[in-house]
Amino acid sequence: MKRTRKAKASMGQMRVIEAIMASLIVVAALSFLYVFAAAPSSQTYEPGELEKIGHNVLHDIDEQGLLTRYVYNSEWANITAALTVSVPNDVYFNLTIYDVNGNSIGHPLIQYGSSDVFAKSKIVASITYIISGYQTVYNPRILVLKLVRG
Amino acid sequence: MRTFRDRKGQFIIIAALFISIMIVSVSTIMYSTVTYFRHERWEEYLTIVDSIKSGSSKVMEVSLASYTQTNNSAVLMDNLNQWIRDVRKAYPGFGINLNYTLESGIRSAYGVSLNYSLGLARVWKQPVSYSAANVTFTINLASVGLTGYSFSTHMFLRTNIRDAVWHSGSGKQYVLIYLSVDKDGSEPVINLLKGNFAEVKLNGVPQSFLFKRYYSTTYSSFVYELRVNSVTSMPSSVEVSLADTKGINTVSTATSPIIRQDTG
Repeated sequence: MKRTRKAKASMGQMRVIEAIMASLIVVAALSFLYVFAAAPSSQTYEPGELEKIGHNVLHDIDEQGLLTRYVYNSEWANITAALTVSVPNDVYFNLTIYDVNGNSIGHPLIQYGSSDVFAKSKIVASITYIISGYQTVYNPRILVLKLVRG
Repeated sequence: MRTFRDRKGQFIIIAALFISIMIVSVSTIMYSTVTYFRHERWEEYLTIVDSIKSGSSKVMEVSLASYTQTNNSAVLMDNLNQWIRDVRKAYPGFGINLNYTLESGIRSAYGVSLNYSLGLARVWKQPVSYSAANVTFTINLASVGLTGYSFSTHMFLRTNIRDAVWHSGSGKQYVLIYLSVDKDGSEPVINLLKGNFAEVKLNGVPQSFLFKRYYSTTYSSFVYELRVNSVTSMPSSVEVSLADTKGINTVSTATSPIIRQDTG
């Protein structure tokens, strides 16, 4: 009788240990999920934000009818100034203009910020914007605007 | 009996393991489902669609300007065909398929019905003259399964000769032409300069003129006032040729009763 009670008591302890182990397994699974489902760091969103800025800036200048004028009349100083005042202070840009075959049209450097900033930055947002022509002439240009945060 | 009870304990652990596996599996599927949007480059797709829309509208603008200057009615179709090829080149790898439909026949845009041919319309030598383009575009982006995104672009320039008054009172004799210019609906065009008015003709003869622009309470509209001096008799016709800042032309002509005499 005494042996049976002892065996039952030992079995009861085992149940408790098993329950604890089962609980630990479930908790471990939930913890794993919590870590797995953690929101990505803000850097993940950064290119998207810069892309939005870049696209909006180009679109706004284009809507005012200035972008085509600057590009087709080779007003490079004006396009640099327009972009400089349009992007936030801590954002640097580099603009390259290509024809439809992907050849650069040979314009001077259109950039704000040193080349080092672009070389060292881990996140560079690139925006492709196409303009179709100016006045009566259809002659598309592809604008590639690169943006980084300083 | 004891062995069975011992196994029951192990069963709890196995059950817990199964439950954990199920939680992890279901949660992983749910997580990847609800966070799918994060991994897609939606911003990029939206900016591409936006850029194509804006560019397509500019192609229409360039084509309309060309049409009003050269009368080549196929220019819009040719430019759009080229534009479709160029868009694919500019955004490789996105599976972009841009299609267009050129409006033909009588179509209404901004409350004005015009007779379009190959997406272009021109009503000139009237007191109210129009140059217009009307195209419906469809964009498919195969890389994200976006199909059938459709938008219509209407574009027009309207020139309206409100009045042409021959002043024949004592002193100078002159003609004042009051003109309003609208684009894309009833949006007034207010940035035209003297140079945008290519020619002002009275009785078919080009004249030199003076230029003013202001908001007129008489017409409740922004107007351009063109003054032709030294006109000794009332003209039977007035013609104004205009090219806006985008190079889109119109030619408006007015006769009596728009042309009237003011003896005051």
